[in-house]
Amino acid sequence: MIKFALYGKGGIGKSTVASNISAILSGKGFKVMQIGCDPKADSTALLRGHKKIPAVLDAIREKGKNVSLSDITYISDSGVVCVEAGGPIPGLGCAGRGIINALEKLDELKAFEEYGIDAVIYDVLGDVVCGGFSMPMRKGYAEKVFVVTSGEKMSCYAAANICMAVDNFKNRGYAGLGGIILNRRNVADEEKRCEELARDFGTSVIGRIDRLKEIEQAEIAESVLKNYAPGSVAFKQIETIAENIVSICGGE
Amino acid sequence: MKNVSKRISCYSADTAGICSALYELGGLTVVHDASGCNSTYSTHDEPRWFDMPSRIFISALTEADAVMGNDEKLISDTVKAAKDLKPEFIALCGSPMPMMTGVDFDAIAQEVERRTNLPTFGFSTNGMATYLEGASEAFYTLSLYFSEKREQRADTVNILGATPLDFGLNGSVEAIKAFLTENNFRVGACLSMGASLNDFRMLSEARVNLVISQSGVKTAKYLYDEYEIPYVCAVPVGKFFSKQVLKALEDPSEQVFKNGSGSEVCIIGEGIYSKSLASELLYKGIDANIISPLETDKGVLSQNDAQVYSEEDIRAYLKEKKPKTVIADPLYSFVIPKGTKHYPLAHFAFSGRCYTSKILNFIDREIDIQI
Ligand SMILES: Nc1ncnc2c1ncn2[C@@H]1O[C@H](COP(=O)(O)OP(=O)(O)O)[C@@H](O)[C@H]1O
Ligand SMILES: [Mg+2]
Repeated sequence: MIKFALYGKGGIGKSTVASNISAILSGKGFKVMQIGCDPKADSTALLRGHKKIPAVLDAIREKGKNVSLSDITYISDSGVVCVEAGGPIPGLGCAGRGIINALEKLDELKAFEEYGIDAVIYDVLGDVVCGGFSMPMRKGYAEKVFVVTSGEKMSCYAAANICMAVDNFKNRGYAGLGGIILNRRNVADEEKRCEELARDFGTSVIGRIDRLKEIEQAEIAESVLKNYAPGSVAFKQIETIAENIVSICGGE
Repeated sequence: MKNVSKRISCYSADTAGICSALYELGGLTVVHDASGCNSTYSTHDEPRWFDMPSRIFISALTEADAVMGNDEKLISDTVKAAKDLKPEFIALCGSPMPMMTGVDFDAIAQEVERRTNLPTFGFSTNGMATYLEGASEAFYTLSLYFSEKREQRADTVNILGATPLDFGLNGSVEAIKAFLTENNFRVGACLSMGASLNDFRMLSEARVNLVISQSGVKTAKYLYDEYEIPYVCAVPVGKFFSKQVLKALEDPSEQVFKNGSGSEVCIIGEGIYSKSLASELLYKGIDANIISPLETDKGVLSQNDAQVYSEEDIRAYLKEKKPKTVIADPLYSFVIPKGTKHYPLAHFAFSGRCYTSKILNFIDREIDIQI
């Protein structure tokens, strides 16, 4: 079983990359679960064709102890089990604590065993802002953290923070850094900045995605590239990333 | 609102269960909570506090440390205390505030262990579960770590699930040991009153385990899976039931409890203790059943017993069932219907030191309750 998390600044492309990787791994025979850890609850939108699923926290709010797995999962056309942790009402509560509750609920319901999962992707909101957002890198959750970034200053800043958090936790048995995924915004010195970031944290850039029309178009079509544009450059770039991730996570 | 206690007390929480289970074992127990809270866990919930020293500390969590995620203070203070006090092990446990900020006790324990080279255990208690769950985790975790394969001894029985939260300090646990010894058993480990860490190392010597509260069940199941030691859940109360317990210890496949419908007596309390007392009354010809407001193993309760958690449900159950007498902690008087007799039997985990003279020792003796 491989378990990894994608972290990165909001809007950088984590969910787009995660959903496409999920569909690709599913096509390669993995039984995949993608868990969106973002109060926006839109991580798996491309896989679901924007069909709605109740977020784990909404289901807990509504049904309390009686939540069952089928209440909080959606199986995509490509066979990916989609889960959204969800979050509190905007402006209230504690989003980090919400992620902890949602992930504990999945444990309690033995979600991985029930579906025979052998690849888990955590798609985690932006920066590591509080304890809750480090939950997916704790022992028993993701084994590797991949950071999605462009060369933009704010994106690199967030990426560095995440790498720092992973480094701080190295004595705790948490996830290790798997590598950097460059999602290009075509800013000056983009390649150089990302290489530098990777070097600072003793890791490498494991894949590159260009700024591409087909990604936008696939989003409008509410579809993953595997269905929308399987021969496209974007698809091939993300497929390479998926293969690299599998080998870094030790999944043959 | 469900599970709100408006008139009655509530049971001691999981953190108190951990502190109580580990009290005598020579470890260092650190509760991650605000300064001043030690009294909650270690004086109100701990009768031994006045006579017997133990190393239970509060981390003195501040608002700033909680907000800033300053785990390092907890870690370095614990490491420093461990260097001074040289405990045999370290236990870290939580409280409501660290639960909210998502403190990872397992991870912190790993860091403390790395810096001290002492076995360190993290317990994610949060004050929301009961003392039974806390004590259960403590017994289980230490059994998992310290128990070792030893030669079994045919005469040896371990006692599992002993804390003053269930048995007070009225001599009950000593009486259980004496009762077993008088009946030609050798008492091995007693988890954990009159115990030391060594008791955990010799757990596998026993031929059978006697589980005297729910807090011992998880450990008993582990010892069964790991060393094939069978177990009996029962407290040897009364003259009749205690004989049944001896029989069951000889042949643990034997059903030890008697079941009644509770037309005459209903007992409210910890499941294994209450069920033992109800069985004794049934042997004396008194129809008794129990209400357990605490988690209780499935095998203990019969369909005539009630697993009821909230004050309003207990009140409704008694109103409908109309037993002649209710045996329960004095603080339950508020939910017992008019016209029903209340025989007070205090439970430390429920009323603390308020009614210590009513925490009764019924071990292996004639029980005379006027119904
Ligand atoms: N390489 C790319 N080329 C074109 N558009 C992209 C690319 N990567 C991401 N996008 C677009 O950026 C937006 C934000 O992506 P999303 O995956 O939702 O970000 P995140 O999950 O990190 O918040 C989406 O509209 C997505 O289609
Ligand atoms: Mg997203």
